[in-house]
Amino acid sequence: MATRLSSLERSERRLGIALLAPAFALLSGVVLYPIYNLIRMSFSENKLTEPWLAKPWIGFENYAKAMGDERLWEATWHTLLYVIVTVPGAVALGLGLALLANQPFRVKWPVRLGLLLPWALPLVFAGLIFRWFFEYQQGLVNNALIWIGLPPVNWLTQEGPAFFAICVAIIWKTSSFAALVLLAGLQTIPKSLYEAAEVDGASKWQQFWEITLPMLKPAIIVALIFRTITAIQTFDIPKAMTDGGPGNATETLAMYIHKTTIDSLDFGYGSTLAVLMFVASAILTSIYLRHTRRDPSAGRH
Amino acid sequence: MAAVTIRKVRKVFGKVEVIHGVDLTFQDGEFVVLVGPSGCGKSTLLRMIAGLESVTDGAIDIGGVVINDFAPRDRDIAMVFQDYALYPHKSVYDNMGFGLKMRGASPSEIAERVKEAADVLQISHLLDRRPGQLSGGQRQRVAMGRAIVRRPRVFLFDEPLSNLDAQLRAEVRIEIKKLHQRFGTTIIYVTHDQVEAMTLADRIAVLRGGVLEQFATPDAIYNKPASKFVAGFMGSPPMSFARLTASADGKTLAMPSGTVLPARGGLVMGGLSGDKSYDAGFRPEHVKLGADALPGGVNTTARVEILEPLGAETLALLTVGGAVLTGRFPPQAGVKSGDEVTVSLGAADMHLFDTETGRALVA
Repeated sequence: MATRLSSLERSERRLGIALLAPAFALLSGVVLYPIYNLIRMSFSENKLTEPWLAKPWIGFENYAKAMGDERLWEATWHTLLYVIVTVPGAVALGLGLALLANQPFRVKWPVRLGLLLPWALPLVFAGLIFRWFFEYQQGLVNNALIWIGLPPVNWLTQEGPAFFAICVAIIWKTSSFAALVLLAGLQTIPKSLYEAAEVDGASKWQQFWEITLPMLKPAIIVALIFRTITAIQTFDIPKAMTDGGPGNATETLAMYIHKTTIDSLDFGYGSTLAVLMFVASAILTSIYLRHTRRDPSAGRH
Repeated sequence: MAAVTIRKVRKVFGKVEVIHGVDLTFQDGEFVVLVGPSGCGKSTLLRMIAGLESVTDGAIDIGGVVINDFAPRDRDIAMVFQDYALYPHKSVYDNMGFGLKMRGASPSEIAERVKEAADVLQISHLLDRRPGQLSGGQRQRVAMGRAIVRRPRVFLFDEPLSNLDAQLRAEVRIEIKKLHQRFGTTIIYVTHDQVEAMTLADRIAVLRGGVLEQFATPDAIYNKPASKFVAGFMGSPPMSFARLTASADGKTLAMPSGTVLPARGGLVMGGLSGDKSYDAGFRPEHVKLGADALPGGVNTTARVEILEPLGAETLALLTVGGAVLTGRFPPQAGVKSGDEVTVSLGAADMHLFDTETGRALVA
């Protein structure tokens, strides 16, 4: 049974709707409509290179094509690999950085700056910097290898090393965001817990395992979720470092979509690929979110 | 169990010295309360005993061993923190057993000791819960339980009742006293609440500005305060003061209005200097309604400014002879604000303090 609202409640509700309307209209224009258009386009043939074909509705044909598209599955596999390696990698490195930044340094700004700089840097910049690091002739990494007496490596033109180099760049670039999230989490842990543990006889290492890690779990999950969402969309860094090469060896889903849509101007199929990626990341995110709904400080009852 | 000795302990934070050479000796099994206003150094002193703050200078000795350089875990102490510092992600059981687990006790030993402590504190039914599911009073018990299971030589309490409401505070206070009677372990207890200090302590150490003002039994603190500060801090309501002037021969004292009081005769060591001012302190029970209400009292008139009925008694804020004093009146005295009444001033129980040093003149 619907409860009757008083006139005050009704007028408050009207005001609420009026205040929400502009934001909703804006979001509809820039988010909902493009998504709707994307889904509509994924069911059509829409090649800018062949405009005489018009844009016929072709049902699930694009989707059927995608299922058998080997390059799509390769790009998906590469993306998955980046997720598997760089998400835990960035969060682990970020945890180390956060623990470091949480130490009582007398001068705090160099640590904070070191933490913020990779985060503030545009992704393409980071990609270009690391492309230079791993460059064969003048790259920092090969120079270092030669200096310690090892042969230089063709980092960016071999499948394995190229994947490794890109992962290093992504982890470096994204760990600072994880570190910021984790640092915020660290600072909410009351100091008295460590004092109690100290009196209880826990060593520094035990304090880390018994207090820091469990207390940080919510922040770690948040960092993992955000990192995963961005990792699924990995584009800029491999684009700048290898452009997907050698061959398609380092190509991600986002790069393949970009190539299909922008380079080959196949908007119909490109939209289909984008819808598939959207669905995949939505599923992954919802799995994560289900886990976070459990309050770690609540009991088993 | 162990005795604790603090010898000439100083503490400096940066350039600020917060504890200026404190000497204290606590007997084995004694319940000692460190009390004082905020910033007096009582918590710092406790944290130095716990090993959570370093000792700048001097020595702290537990059971005959100087433990200045011992890590907290090697001091065989347990501490109850002001915010309880329970591990929020662990069950009550794991919270209480944590110290034993860290010391490598076997699971069966942990189970036995946790169960025992939980029985004593009547929290056996809460062992599966997390701290977030407990009330303030229950958390407080768990924090005490965590200290008890370890069976340390010394218990340290850092304002453990300050987060509880008044009624619960009174209950837990009794609980703590029972625990001390049961285990007989040395307890060092920090509070800013003089009622807690008076009710719990075997001996009270009153600190002020990093200096020990007095270290004595509650009875001595109340009846023979060593300084005007101790006299004004301990007791509820606190002692009230009047500035009196000694006569030329030092035998009598005059209120600001001229009312003359005897100078407590031979009790004053070395007598009073003529024409000098003194701060006289009166406990509320020594300002009584009615002529000759106190043996050896001096009758004088007073104006009732404010009345605070407490049920069993009524506190009266009075203007007496140019000074403002608090008196304890019977509840049905029939007095109103603004009345002129006759009160008996307990001159024999008057405390005298030097106006400059604040030290008590009466031994």
